[in-house]
Amino acid sequence: MTASFGIHSEDSEHDLRAHGHVGAHGCVPPRPSANAACLWIPLYALHCEERRRPELADRPTALLTPEDSRRIWLAAPQARREGVRSGMTVSQAIGLCPSLTLLEPDPVHYDEQFAHLLTELENISPVIEPAELGRVFIGVDGLEGLIGGPAEQLAAIQAVADGPGRPAGRLGWGKGKFVAWVAAARAKPGRPVIVPPADRSAFLQSQPIAVLPLHPDNHRRLTQLGLHTLADLVALPEAAVVAQFGREGRAAWRLAAGTVDEPVTGRVRPQPISASLDFPAPVADRGLLTHTIAVLIEHALRDPRRTGWRVQTVRVRAALEQEGSWMIEAILKDPSALRDRIAAPLHARLDQTPPTGAIEHLAVEFTSFVRGTDELQLFARDAVAAARAGRRRALRAAALEIQTRLRRQSLYRVIEVQPWSRLPERRYALIAFEH
Amino acid sequence: MVPPARTPLRPDRLRTLNLPKRVLVEVDACGDPETVRSVASGDDARNAKQAIVAEVFETWRVNDEWWRIPIRRQYAEVLLEGGKHVMLFEDLETGEWFMQRV
Repeated sequence: MTASFGIHSEDSEHDLRAHGHVGAHGCVPPRPSANAACLWIPLYALHCEERRRPELADRPTALLTPEDSRRIWLAAPQARREGVRSGMTVSQAIGLCPSLTLLEPDPVHYDEQFAHLLTELENISPVIEPAELGRVFIGVDGLEGLIGGPAEQLAAIQAVADGPGRPAGRLGWGKGKFVAWVAAARAKPGRPVIVPPADRSAFLQSQPIAVLPLHPDNHRRLTQLGLHTLADLVALPEAAVVAQFGREGRAAWRLAAGTVDEPVTGRVRPQPISASLDFPAPVADRGLLTHTIAVLIEHALRDPRRTGWRVQTVRVRAALEQEGSWMIEAILKDPSALRDRIAAPLHARLDQTPPTGAIEHLAVEFTSFVRGTDELQLFARDAVAAARAGRRRALRAAALEIQTRLRRQSLYRVIEVQPWSRLPERRYALIAFEH
Repeated sequence: MVPPARTPLRPDRLRTLNLPKRVLVEVDACGDPETVRSVASGDDARNAKQAIVAEVFETWRVNDEWWRIPIRRQYAEVLLEGGKHVMLFEDLETGEWFMQRV
């Protein structure tokens, strides 16, 4: 096999300096912004497909889920009118809409398109915080002198968002991300909603409960309790909401009452280190892919810019035979500079969401880092192990003392017996604590 | 072969957790529990405590181990007056009711 390796950076120091937020190695996030604009482009991935293939615009189309090609991810309005919904199986969707055009997802393409949009928005403000594909918050503090008031700021953002071929976005402006997001959700394309700080409370109180970022079960419970608007929720004492819904309820109550402002914190602009490989013939063998990913990780780790940094986010991108693409990403709970530790979560992802076709080009990218070295990790591991051993010693001594005083076995630990059992009494048991 | 370093588990020293407790249950016309009365040792009626079922959340049936000693239970997850959240089940083989923690 002849393979071409190339470790390259996708960003340049010069480019970062131009935006004024250069840190050691990469960059530090810009100062948070209390006032926020929110740009929301619903069904962003579908719009990307329609932009590529204009003939799809008038047809009922749906995108398949990247993780499960038997389910619908997004349905175009024409398909929704026929009853097709996200999460449905393909057979259900075809049953409802026989003329439905199903599309394989191309997550790399959507990600690239969205990244271009974010880069252009950075020309307006350096404080950009993407929330999800198609939704981004823009920090607008300090733009008054440069651009003008909220209306002018939104017009500038609109001009970027309305770039050639881009779908119409919805824009909202307010103090804090929540208000800006609710305003964007209420806006129509071309008609942004601005919520001045003085009107924030009145604006929020009239909104439906559905705007709160809550688990669907909690949304259902709130509706069953007869709470339909944020005003209904705020009328209850905060403590009562916390008693019923816990931490999530507290956060929701405070958002609804407008007592918290979530500033736009901006993002650390990734300065990826990547290693890539072109296969001379498309490859579908899982073992070969696993091995290639490990080799690419090793190459990327050798990049001198990685020295002194541990990898936190790693991404694998692939160009598939027949123009498709595939991507998996892992965020390491314990950032590492060791090949096997970085590769382990990727192998799990590879098993969960294998590529849908043979791979022609494979790239591994490290997209975020934390400070530290291997030595630091070893020290941290030792420290954790020592603390654990210390706790065990203390527990053993206490157990021995209790048994000496009571002169009988009185300490037990809970063990799993048949945690899957449908009979609750068979799931866990107590066993004498051995010291 | 090197034996495993862990202390071996001894099933004879296991104590079961969350064993069902026998209770007396009155049901409504639909078969849902209405009141629960604990059964003290010796079925001493003076020691029995009664609780009213405030809400029945969910009911389900378990049919298992038909190849051995069949287990047939009708479960109900309920909230008792006073806020206690428990599971009740009727042993359909014997007609007796039991209570367990959720």
